[in-house]
Formats: sequence, structure tokens, C-alpha cells
Amino acid sequence: MKNIIKYIAVGLLPIIGMNSCKTDTEYLNPSSASEKQVTSDLNGLIALANGLQYRYSISRLSPVYAMITANGLTTKELKVLNAGNTDEQNLQDGNASVLASNSVVSNLWSQLNVIKGNSDLILNNLDKVGELGTRSGLQAYASIYKALSIGITAQFWENVSIETAPQSRLVSRADGLKETIRLLEAASASVTANPISVNFNSRIVAGIDIPNTLNALIARYALMAGDYDKALAAANKVDLTKKSQLNFDDLTRNPIWDVAFGNVNVFQPLDLNMGLPTALKPTDADKRIDFYFSSRALVGNTYKGKGFFKSNSDQIPMYLPSEMTLIKAEASARKNDLASAEKELNNILTKTTDAWGIGAGLTTYTGAKTQADLLTEIYRNRRIELFMSGMSLEDSRRFGRPTTERTRTFYPYPQTERDNNPNIPADPAN
Amino acid sequence: MQKKLIILKYQNIMKKKFTTFLLGIISLLLMSFASLAQSYNIKGKITDSDGQPMIGATVILKGTTFGTAAIANGTYGFTAKTKAGSYDLEFRSVGYSTVTKKIVLGSSNDLNVNVTTTESKDGINLDEIVVTGSTLKTNRRELGNAISSVSSKQLEATGTGNLTSALQGKIPGAQITQNSGDPAGGFTVRMRGVKSLRGSSDPLYIIDGVVVSNASDNVSQLANANQIGEASPGQNRLADINSSDIESLNVLNGAAASAIYGSRASNGVIIITTKKGKSGAPKVTFSTSFNVNELRKKVAINTYGKQFGSNVLRLHTIQAAVPTGLETIGIERNGVISRLASGLVDVTRYDYQDQIFRTGYGTDNSISISGGNDATQYYGSVSYLRNEGIIKGTDFTRYALKMRIDQRLTNWAKVSAGLNYINSYSNEKANGNVFYSPINSINITNNIWDITQRDANGKLLSVEPTRVNPLSTIEDMDFNQSVNRTIGDVQFNLTPFKDLSVDLIMGVDNYSQLGRNTILPYPYQAISGLPAGNYPSGYAGNATNNVTLFNTDLNITYVKELTKDLKITAIAGMNYQTSRKDFTSSSGEKLVPGLTTVSAASQSIIAGYGLDRFDVAGQFAQVTLGLKNRFFLTGAIRRDGSTLFSPSQTNQLYPKISASYVISDENFWQSLSSVISTAKLRASYGESGGLTALGTYDRFWQFPATPYLGQNTFVPSTRYANPDVRPERTKEIEFGGDFGFLNDRITLSLSYYNQQITDLVVNKNVAPTSGALSIINNVGTMENKGFEFALGITPIRTKNLTWDLNLIYSANRNKIVSFNTGEQLQAVTTVSGAPVFNIVGQPAGVFYGTFFARNPDGSFLNTTNGAGYVQQDFGKQNSAVDPLAYTVARDASGQPLRTGNVALRKVIGNPNPDYTASVVSNLTYKNLGFRMLFDAVQGLQVFNADKRTRQGVGIGDFAEKELRGELPRGYIFSTYLTEEWRIDDGSFVKLREISLSYKLPEIIKGMTGLKISATGRNLISWDNYNGYDPETNAGGNSDRLRGVDFGNVPIPKTYQLSLTANF
Repeated sequence: MKNIIKYIAVGLLPIIGMNSCKTDTEYLNPSSASEKQVTSDLNGLIALANGLQYRYSISRLSPVYAMITANGLTTKELKVLNAGNTDEQNLQDGNASVLASNSVVSNLWSQLNVIKGNSDLILNNLDKVGELGTRSGLQAYASIYKALSIGITAQFWENVSIETAPQSRLVSRADGLKETIRLLEAASASVTANPISVNFNSRIVAGIDIPNTLNALIARYALMAGDYDKALAAANKVDLTKKSQLNFDDLTRNPIWDVAFGNVNVFQPLDLNMGLPTALKPTDADKRIDFYFSSRALVGNTYKGKGFFKSNSDQIPMYLPSEMTLIKAEASARKNDLASAEKELNNILTKTTDAWGIGAGLTTYTGAKTQADLLTEIYRNRRIELFMSGMSLEDSRRFGRPTTERTRTFYPYPQTERDNNPNIPADPAN
Repeated sequence: MQKKLIILKYQNIMKKKFTTFLLGIISLLLMSFASLAQSYNIKGKITDSDGQPMIGATVILKGTTFGTAAIANGTYGFTAKTKAGSYDLEFRSVGYSTVTKKIVLGSSNDLNVNVTTTESKDGINLDEIVVTGSTLKTNRRELGNAISSVSSKQLEATGTGNLTSALQGKIPGAQITQNSGDPAGGFTVRMRGVKSLRGSSDPLYIIDGVVVSNASDNVSQLANANQIGEASPGQNRLADINSSDIESLNVLNGAAASAIYGSRASNGVIIITTKKGKSGAPKVTFSTSFNVNELRKKVAINTYGKQFGSNVLRLHTIQAAVPTGLETIGIERNGVISRLASGLVDVTRYDYQDQIFRTGYGTDNSISISGGNDATQYYGSVSYLRNEGIIKGTDFTRYALKMRIDQRLTNWAKVSAGLNYINSYSNEKANGNVFYSPINSINITNNIWDITQRDANGKLLSVEPTRVNPLSTIEDMDFNQSVNRTIGDVQFNLTPFKDLSVDLIMGVDNYSQLGRNTILPYPYQAISGLPAGNYPSGYAGNATNNVTLFNTDLNITYVKELTKDLKITAIAGMNYQTSRKDFTSSSGEKLVPGLTTVSAASQSIIAGYGLDRFDVAGQFAQVTLGLKNRFFLTGAIRRDGSTLFSPSQTNQLYPKISASYVISDENFWQSLSSVISTAKLRASYGESGGLTALGTYDRFWQFPATPYLGQNTFVPSTRYANPDVRPERTKEIEFGGDFGFLNDRITLSLSYYNQQITDLVVNKNVAPTSGALSIINNVGTMENKGFEFALGITPIRTKNLTWDLNLIYSANRNKIVSFNTGEQLQAVTTVSGAPVFNIVGQPAGVFYGTFFARNPDGSFLNTTNGAGYVQQDFGKQNSAVDPLAYTVARDASGQPLRTGNVALRKVIGNPNPDYTASVVSNLTYKNLGFRMLFDAVQGLQVFNADKRTRQGVGIGDFAEKELRGELPRGYIFSTYLTEEWRIDDGSFVKLREISLSYKLPEIIKGMTGLKISATGRNLISWDNYNGYDPETNAGGNSDRLRGVDFGNVPIPKTYQLSLTANF
């Protein structure tokens, strides 16, 4: 009897042990979705579209921060206040100081390329969306961010990636701009064919005027690509009374205010010249100085900037309507239509305000009416009107400004890209 | 859904089965009591070789559950109700050799058996008992691996109430580093080197069979959780363990533990056995101590009353001079000339260390009672510890209750139940990695402000713009956490048949952490303009973390002497572990004045929830064959599975084989035995797994939901995943020997090991053009090769005077062998600026960065500008192909050529030491004891971020020299960007422990073992380090970031007075 009990007891124990040896349960994260969940339905794709803008505009990692910072330091718009911010300081010093490991430059490249990959998740799954007006909205939204990803990369690097692949081949920036324009034009056609649905608009983060932004970006990148007719045509389609912007709040903050202008430790504008050489600096009468600076006087050794970076929730424009006017002026000038160029330039000079409240409040152009002189004045006004918008390195190159006016012409490819992708060409000399 | 139902159903079945089982056990016990055999009274006395009573030594009648433990005078007695016959009576005490006496239970019902045992010396007493698994013990003779043990004696009078700290310098092959001097500060224990490039290298901790958590989940540093990169702040949960409850501690390396702990063994296993009750009259042990903590050494702060340029010029040593009009000097760096201020102005400088540090006091008290009878033994203890940190406002308080009851159920079944409840509370300050932490606020602030000044309302005033007044970190920030923890276990030990025993353990470790975080709005924000990362409008956050670890272990052991010379020990077992963590947090900013909780937040309010679950299950079988009690061969195999991996990868097999040979027991040895009294050779090979590298959901590409302007938003993770990632695997081969010379007056234990860790899981960088920044995958192979020796010498052994010397030396060489992706290096993210990389052919986590240009003779190649300055080197380098190769480029004048070249990088430092060593000297004269422990870590470098910060801010020793003209103006500026400048020698030798103790004679009747000790801890460090202490880790408990000094709280020196008494 006793032995039987023992046998039972000893026999039971292993059964207990055995029963507890199963590990085929699959635990999923209840606070996070999977790729399949996100890309297989409309709700996931729209939430993903909002994520594109989040990545583009929120935090020190974002391209908005990195582009305005790197571009501003390279073109003498900005100065570093604390040399302890080593990577920002190295950008300001420029030349060989801009290392492949520079975190501002790396973030710009990395986050733009991640946005490109995330946009492709939407563009490759548009067929999951039945409602045509919602599909066109998604296509347009994802195309805008993919275009910005490629286009901004082309503003700072000689070669860019237009595909999402483990060892992506790079194409020249000219080819990159072509792809950018192609994406935007395709999206524009879809939106025209199937106007964006209320369903889409009510669920996407407010702020971006999609049809106008598509045309504004076509105009911007066509100008960079040297296709002046296309730039002109697209710029003419943009409604200059409309605003299209990135919105922020106390949680998802305006990154320039959050990191830099909210304190006096990272960077501020270099001086009132706005990065222009003395000969071209804005005149005292130029009211745009007061738009972009909180005071014309030094405050504790520093000129404090303002612009679109005044608080956590300050809006940052996707493009300025006056950029369209300047594109028209430049495209006309380059086509040697000097009268149109001068007319558009005067619109900028004499403007006292616009949708964003920017106005030079100056008199009309009185300089020489040659193509070269008009272009120089257009350049000067682009630098002032579009101050701290990330455009000035591209402008400085396109207008053939002397290299002494900037500390780099193109950036080196980031270390993580070079370390992991054999298809990366040599870095530019400067 | 289907799956969930199945799981629920399965859990129900589990519960039912368990109930049935318990009922079965109880009923069969009752029946068993009815069929009792004859009664025998067995008693006697157990003494050691000096004739001293062996209090607490256990006696067991083998093949039964009868037994007891010796009481205060060394006597024991118990009644065994069993059948007549011949039995082995076994006497055991951890740290002593086991003695087995053959006895015959026959007609006489009373037996008297006296024995003498001998104390084990480190690594030599071959019959010493060591623990190899929760319920598995063996003697050293049979072991094919080195297993080190630490006894409760070695944990007394160490000057610390922290268990991990008390182990420093006592375990061969283990490098134990105190990462921070916080009173609950984290520790890193690394056995035989780095084991993983992603996961923790922290060993698995088992207390009385319960898998306990040593995690450092962050609930009290929420404000900086996203500001500190891969650093892991916070306390390790082992801080909850009261070291006076510990009886012994055994340390198993990966291969030794592989059969029993399989996929969790690769980092090594530390098995802790706590004290048990002993039958006899109740015995009370009381101990109390009082300690004083002080800053061991201040860093050099510039108090010379001068500043370059003007008193508003921030970073006066390195910042280009503004406003214009100052006297300047042009200094060239990287070919660019910067105008630095050269004139001096008068300022008043302060040493803010005086306002941050204090003398902290602490006390550690515990009282325990134990006793029982033949059938039931109990142990209970209460303890209270409080320790103040040397940073104002930091402390750690711990209350603990512990209970264990052992009950014999029948002559073949025993049950033991233990319960440990801990309540701990700590007050912390911000983690060093941010500039609103006490130490870093000093480092980053020019010291020309009197920080003690206040306005009319008593509020602190601003200091340098954008900087936090160091006193704000003390007065206006509160980070604290309270922990409630219960560790419980129930164990059944059955001996249903002679030779066969079955052990079942069920253990639970359950704790909840509640963290509260407050940063009050800074009263001086309007003037200072603090960055958003310092939470200028105030911050409050709460987090709770509820953790449950559950484990079941079943071991069946069969021991049989097949013939006189051949013994077989076979063990089969299975275990199951499950872990669940529920983490909830909420935080907000802009606090309503006067309030301090998250309820007072009016902006940026966010909440989050995380759930982390995994199960591990395994089965194993192990067989040991013993030939003539001198040659032993062990083979084992284990199968493991875990939910962390996909079903296709989850099943892993881990084999093990080992052999030991006690050659000194051979007849032919007898001629040698007068010189070499003991000699044992051992060898082993084992495979074990590593689970820590993979987080629960790491094999999936995550799309976390993110609050964003009121719309649903997914921000995809920038980390891709490989769904079929496999567990890391360690293959270890070990050879060694244990020797005793001159009648074991000298003992020597040697081990050589070679670990190959394959399938390393790494969060490896990918090209951003692929759409993400990294991917979790099995990508590499790493090795640890090393050598350990432990030498014990007893130069003097007389009746009154004994002097023991123990030396431990361990050298480990870690190397990343390859990445199968073909890449050569991977970066680790830090916020301290430390360039931490994993590079093929190099040890893990080296500092790979820019360095100074040098002439062929090794001297600095200075600039031709002014006084001539050191400068960064440039040249050709293709780090993707060969990170270590480069060619320097020089222009016609022999200066570094920058155009078209890159800033060169090389390995500028290695945080892995060449060797660690310790020396313990124990001198006993009659009742007087004197112990010293020297602990050395040599041949490593520290990335000293703080040193550079202090110079750039202008408050460091170099800054003072530059102001005084002892260094040329521009010296700091010219060195500032070169990473090599931040590398310092991290070698040190510390007087870890020094202790004088006196055992008082029995003054009061019944009060024995009255002992007073005076102990000093970390009193002296011999090092060449420009900072507080080279023993430091800004990465906290992270294993990827080692040897970085960035805002860390230094380890205090401690004086302790303690008293122990037994009643």
C-alpha cells in the first residue's frame, strides 16, 4: 500500500513538470502594432501617414530641426552659442570639421531616408483602400513626404537614394529631383481625378493644404532641377492666400523653439546680416528683420531669433507663398523674361504683409535691369524672405555665390551609411 | 482568441492538477504516519579540527529525511523512525568537508556518534559541499568545473549592507563594479567577461531555489528616461536582499551551470542559500551597526579668481570672444583660426562640491530567531537598514521579514516553505547623464556665482544662463521609489526509495515598484532660459512596475554504488519559469505652484502602459560515474524553449561533459604527498544559452502608437526585426586543477577557459537608405579566454595566532571574432560623447575615436601657430573595410593635410581590464581578528567626459593652469575636440575592506559570540585618475557602456562599527 502511494506521488510530480513545459505561446505587444496590422487597412495607413509628419517635424532628431540647423550654420545664418554642442560647432566651423559622424548631418540623412521607407509602406499598400478620395489623400500625403525626403537630401548631398532597399544604389541629385517631381505630379493627378475625401481630411493631422503643397513642391524642385517652365507653371497654380503648415503643441513641440530658441545655449542668428555678405545685407528699412528677430539689439552678446519659432506651438510653414513669387521671379529671370522677373521681385519688395505676416515694406527695385543684377537681387531676397527655412545652401550654390559665403558646399555621407552600404561614392572635397 | 481560450483552459487544468497533487500528498502523509517503523535516538557532538563546536552543522540519516543540526555547544540529537539496517550518517556544513559515518541501527535504540570536520580552504577541500543547482549539491571531488563559494563569514564586517558590494574581491573570475555611489547604487557583476553585445551580462540569481530578479527597471528616473541613450539608470533589485540572512553563496560559470539552467546560464549563475532553522532551544542572533559615509576625494576645482575675456563670457577657455573689443589671440584648430579672449578679469570662484556633498550616516540591524525539534525547524528574522548617501537628500531604507519552516512529513517526505517580505524606499537625485544631476550641474556651470544666494522669498537665484543652480538639484528635485517585494517558495524533498530522491520547488518573486518624480519649476527660469530638457516649468511623473517571476523545478536524483568502486549519480529534471511585467507611467509638465504630483501638471501630460511576458521551459538529464571515488565523468543534455523566440527557433539543445581526477588519491602518489598533499585535475566542455539579448517583442518590427495632435498616429520603429532570431549560445571549454601543498598549508586552484559565443544578437546598424537605422539579428561571434587562480597560504598557524592569506587573480581576454554580415564595426549610442564601438578583432565596447597627430618618434606634432598646439590627425581611412588601418596625410610643411582627408580614428581606450586581483589577509590572535582586502583592477581606460567638461566650462585644473599661464592660452581649445584627450588610465588598487574585530568572552551568562568590529570600506584608492574614482559607470547597469565617467556619484568611503551577539 505504502509503496503504491509513493509511486503515485513520484509519478505525479513529473506530470506537473511536463505540463508546465510548453513554450509555444506567442505573446504580442498590446501597446504596439505589427507591420501587417498597420498596412492591411485604412486605419493603419492613415495613422502611419500621421507618423510621417511626426517623424519629419518633431524633436531634435527631425529633419525640420536638422535641416534648419545644419543649413543655417553652413550658410552663416546661425551661430553656435556653446562650443560644447560639438556637432553644431563643427558645422559652423565647416570644411574638414564636418565629419561623417556629425550627428546633425547624420540625423538629417537618416530620418529623411526612414521617412522615405515609411512613405513606401503607404504607397505600396494603396490598393487596400477602397474609397478613392481617401486613397488619393493617402497617395498625396505619402508622396509629399517621400518627395521631401528625396528633395531635401538632394539639397545637401550630391547623390541620393530613391529606393528602399538593403544596399540602396544612389542616383545623382538631378535624377533624385526628377523622381521627386514625378511622385508629386502623379499625386497631383490623383487628387485632381478624385478630390480628397472628408473621411481622410478629418483623420489626418490638420495643417497641410495638400493641393497647394503639391504644386508648391513641384515648383521648388523643378526650379532646383532647372526646369523653369515647369517651375513657373506650378508656382502659378499655388493659391498665395492659403497657408500650409506643420502644427505643434505643448507635447509635440516646435523643434527649433524646443531645442534652441527656447533657451540661449544652442544657437541663435549670427547677426542682422542674415548670412549675406555686407554688400547684400538687408537695409535698415527692411521690415523682415523685425519678423525674424525679436530685437535689432544685442541681448547678452546675442541677436535673438524669432520667425516661426516663438513657442512650443508655433506653426512652421511647409512653404511660404512668397517663395512661389520668388520662384516666378527667378524662373522668369533665368528664361530672360526680365520684365516678369522684375514685376515678381517688386511684389516681394513692396509687400507689407502676406498670409504669414511677412512684408519687407520697401520700395520697388531700382538697380540695373540686367539678368545678373536681377538674379542677385532675387538671391538676396530669397535669403531674407526665406531666412532659417533650410533653403539657403541650395540657393548659395544655384546662384553661384563664392564659396567663402558658406562653410560647406555638400555634406559628407554619414558614417552609418558608409559603414553599411558599399554603394556610397566618395565624399565631396568640401 | 482561440489561442487565449486554450491557454486559459490549460491554466485551469494546471490548477486542477496541482490541487489533486496536494491532496494526494497530504493524504499519503497521513497514511504514512500510521505505518511507523522503530525509533532510534541518535546524538553526539560535532567539532572542528580545533575542537570548537560546529554550530549549525547538519546531520542526516541518508536514505531518510531524518536529521537535525548542531546547536550552540556543537551537540546534536534526533529521533529516527525507520527500519533496522545499515545506514550512512552524513555530517555536512557548507565550507567544511562532509564526513560520512557508517552506522548500524539494530537492537540498541540509542547511538552516540561524535565527529570532527575540517574547514575547507579556498578551492582545496575535495569533500567540501558545493551547490550546483537549486536542490543539487555535490562535493568538489566530483566537479569538472571551478565553482567558487563564499560563506556567511566572508560577508560579515564588510562595511556595507549591500550584498553585491560585499562580494567585491571575493570571487575568482568575477569583476564586480559599483557603478555609482548612490546609497542604492547599481552594481555590475561580470563573470569571465562580456557575454553579449546587446543583452545584460548579469548572472542569474537563485535564492533558495527561486529565480529572483536583479533587474533595474526605471521608475524613479522618468524625467531623463529618453535623455540618456543606452545607459540603464536605477538600482538593481538585489539591493532588497539582506546579506545577514545568507548562509552561503555558490558561483557557477556558464558551462558548469549549463545542464541545470540551460538557456539562462551563459552569464553564470549565483546560487544563494539562506539560513535555516536548527532543532534545539530557540537561538537569537542580534547584530547592529552604525556607519559613516564620506566623500573619499574631491576633484580639483579651479578657484583661482581670474577669467578670460569678461565675466559674462561663458566657456571662457574655449569660446570665441564676444563682444568684440576684447583682447584676443588667434588659435588655429583644424586649419581654422578662432579668436579667443586673452585678457584676464577678476572673478570670485566657489567650490560647489561643498554644497552638494555631505557626511551620510547609516545603520543596519537585524535580529533572528531559530530553533525547532526533530520534525519542525524554523528560522525568522527582522531587519532594518538605513543608509544615507554622500549627496544631500539621498538615502536608502529597507525593512525585511524572513521566515522559513522545515517540516518533516514522514520518514521519506519533507516540506520546506520560505517567505521573505521586503519593503525598501530610496530617495535619489537625477541620474548623472543629465545636466540637472548634482554632479553634472557642478561640472557644467562656471563657478563664479554664489549659489547660496536667495531672493527675498528664499528662492534660489540663477547662475550661468541655461544652467541649473546646483542647489536646485538638491532642494527642488525629488526622485524616489518604494518597493514592496515578496519572495516565497515551497519545496518538497521526497526520498521514496533508498537511492532515489525527488525534489520539487515552486518559487515566486513578486514585487511592485512605485516611482515618484518631481522637478519643481525653477524660480529663475526667466533669467536663465533653461532648455526644455531641464523641464523649466516643472515636471512630475509616476510609474508603477508590477513584476511576477514564477518558477517550478523538479529534480529526480538516483545515487547508487553499483560496485565498491563504481558509483552512479543520475539526475533528471525539468523546470519552468515565467515572467510578467506590467509597467504604467504618467507624467506632465508645468506644475501648479506649490504642488508636486502629476495631478498638478498642466501641459504635456502623457501616459503609457507596457506589458512584457515570457516563459522558459526545459528538461535535462545528467549522469555522473564515479570510479574508485577518484575519477569522475559527467555527461548531461538539456532541451530548452522560450516564448522569446519563434516556434521554429525555440527548441535548443545544450550538451555538457566534464571529468575530474583526484590523482593524489592514487597509490603511486604517496611518495609525493608530503609535498603535494592534494591534487585534482579537471576538464569540462559545456554549452549554454543566453536569453537576455532579446527583449520580449524584439523579433517583431514594432509600430508604437504615439499621441500627436489628437489624431491616431503610428511612428514605426527605426529598428527592423528578424522574426527567426535565435538565442545566443556559449560553448565553453575549461581545464584546471586544485592542489594542496605541505599538508594543505598552501592551496592553489587554477583554471583556464575558452568561451566561444556564437549567434550574438546585436541591434546592428543598417544603412539608413534601407528605411530603418538598425536590425535585431544574430550577427556575430565573440570569445572570452582567460585564466584564474586562487592561492591560499597559511604562513602562521598556532594555537593562538593564525594568519591566512588568499590571493585571487583573474585575467580575461574578450574579443569580437566576427560579424557574419561582413561589417567591421558597430557604434553604441551614448550621451556622454563617448565613442563606444564594437569592432571585429577588438574587445567589446572599446573607445574608437580621434587622436592627436604625432611625429614618428611619438611626440606630439604641434601646430606652427603661436606656442604650438597639439592637433587632431587626418589622413586616409576606410572604416567600413578596416577600422584599424589608416595612413596619415601630411602637407609639404609636414603638417596634417585635411583637404580630401578624414579625421582619423583608432582604438584609443579599452574599458575591459587586463586583469583583476585581490588579496585578503586574515590575522587572528586569540579573540582578536584583523582583516584587510585589497582589490585591484588594472590595465583599462576610462572615458573621462567630466574632465573635459570642467576644462571647457573653465572650472577644471587645466583651466586654472591656463589662467595662471602654466599652460599656453588655447591649450584646452586645441585639445577639446580630440577624443583621445578624454581617455584616462582607469587602473586602481583599493583598500576595499579593513576590519578589526574582537570576540568578547561570555560576560553575560547565555550570551555567546559577542563580537565587536570596526570596519573601513573603500578608504584608499591608489590610482592615477583625474576625477573622483575610476571605478565608475555612467552607463549604469548597461553592459554595452562601460568605463564612462559622466556625472556619476562617487563611491563613498565608509567607516562602520558593528556588534553581533547570540543568546
